[in-house]
Amino acid sequence: MNRIPIGVYIPGNSILHRLDARAKLLCLIALTAALIYANSLPGYGIMAALTAILVALSGLKLKAACAPVKQVLPFFAVIFLMNALFNDQGQALWSWWIFNLSPAGMAAGAKVVLKLILLMILFNILMSTTAPMKITAALVSLLRPLGYIRIPVSDLALMISVALQFIPTLMEETEMIRKAQTARGARFESPRLKEKAESIMPLVIPIFISAFKRADELALAMEARGYRGGGQQIKKAAGPLGKSDFAAMLFAAAICWLQIFAL
Amino acid sequence: MSQVKKAIITAVCMALCVVLPLAFHAVPNAGSIYLPMHIPVLLCGLICGWGYGLACGVVGPLLSNLLTGMPPAAVLPAMLVELAVYGIAAGLCISLIRTGKLYADLYISLIAAMLTGRIVAGIARALIFAPGTMTAAAWATSYFVTGLPGIIIQLALLPSIVFALEKARLIPARYPGASGSQ
Repeated sequence: MNRIPIGVYIPGNSILHRLDARAKLLCLIALTAALIYANSLPGYGIMAALTAILVALSGLKLKAACAPVKQVLPFFAVIFLMNALFNDQGQALWSWWIFNLSPAGMAAGAKVVLKLILLMILFNILMSTTAPMKITAALVSLLRPLGYIRIPVSDLALMISVALQFIPTLMEETEMIRKAQTARGARFESPRLKEKAESIMPLVIPIFISAFKRADELALAMEARGYRGGGQQIKKAAGPLGKSDFAAMLFAAAICWLQIFAL
Repeated sequence: MSQVKKAIITAVCMALCVVLPLAFHAVPNAGSIYLPMHIPVLLCGLICGWGYGLACGVVGPLLSNLLTGMPPAAVLPAMLVELAVYGIAAGLCISLIRTGKLYADLYISLIAAMLTGRIVAGIARALIFAPGTMTAAAWATSYFVTGLPGIIIQLALLPSIVFALEKARLIPARYPGASGSQ
């Protein structure tokens, strides 16, 4: 399932590492909106080029930046094929039974897959260049307005931050459990649905037990250090945003505007 | 259970909303058949209560969409509503239902939550996300027929997971001292 874990902070001193976490989160939101609205060849080109530039600016190796994409390649293949083979628009290049391979379908599939790939890389860049504590503090700052409707913002930010840190660990453990159960005879790769379904129980229950053990240990450790919830211990991101943060946010907003209104 | 532990369990369930669908990847279209993301949300609601279940139901699919592209953006809003209702309903039901037997409480709460979530999601799709295209037959097919293996897996798996977690003392026992009735 994985070799390079996704969402792990990689320390560094690149421009993106130095940007404020709040600015990076807001930029990610703007660029996600831009990606969703991208619907033309220049639009896709701009987003792809921008992602490539961000990878270069982050100082990450291309392999590390694209690691999450590799893990879900089969999913992308299914999405592409479903679009390519079941699209009725345009002239078919090849038809058989219910399948209808058309250029319009292939283009639609390629667009969806490209959007997903770019989105994953952008999110991975954010996670790889921002320390978990900074993400938590930034979330507390950005979610603060929700506090007015009595949503416990600090607790929510803590949960999101802890969840992001748990993902790589749980992925590794899932892979280990999967291998162990395969060695015991589980048929995950079997083409038969019944065998696959039967193999799920011995996979899922150990994953949950293992995950809850980790949760128990972490909760104990936090309580032992005096954390009692309610969010008083989590500070919001300190200090005003710098010029480079504002410049990055303006640039992301401009890209978003361009995709929605101009392209 | 302390507030800190509930928060951390919710965080783990959010993370499992990302990890479990990846574990089911070998099967094409596994998301709509096995419904792997429903399991941690329902479990979070059952163990931590409706508020935490709601948080898990909203944040889990959002994180998964950002990290893995699943569920796709087109179905994300409807799924957010469905999973949020699962989390709330599971939490509310388990807090209101006390039959004296763990498995009875769990099954009643689960079935009630699964039905409520599907009904609300169907209404949301019919009125908001896909107005005019949602029929009763389409609702039944997409929420009950396609996901039937997932429903069976959830009903078989979730009570077993809660029981295993209680037995491992990772969550407090619902009926301390009861053993034969479990």
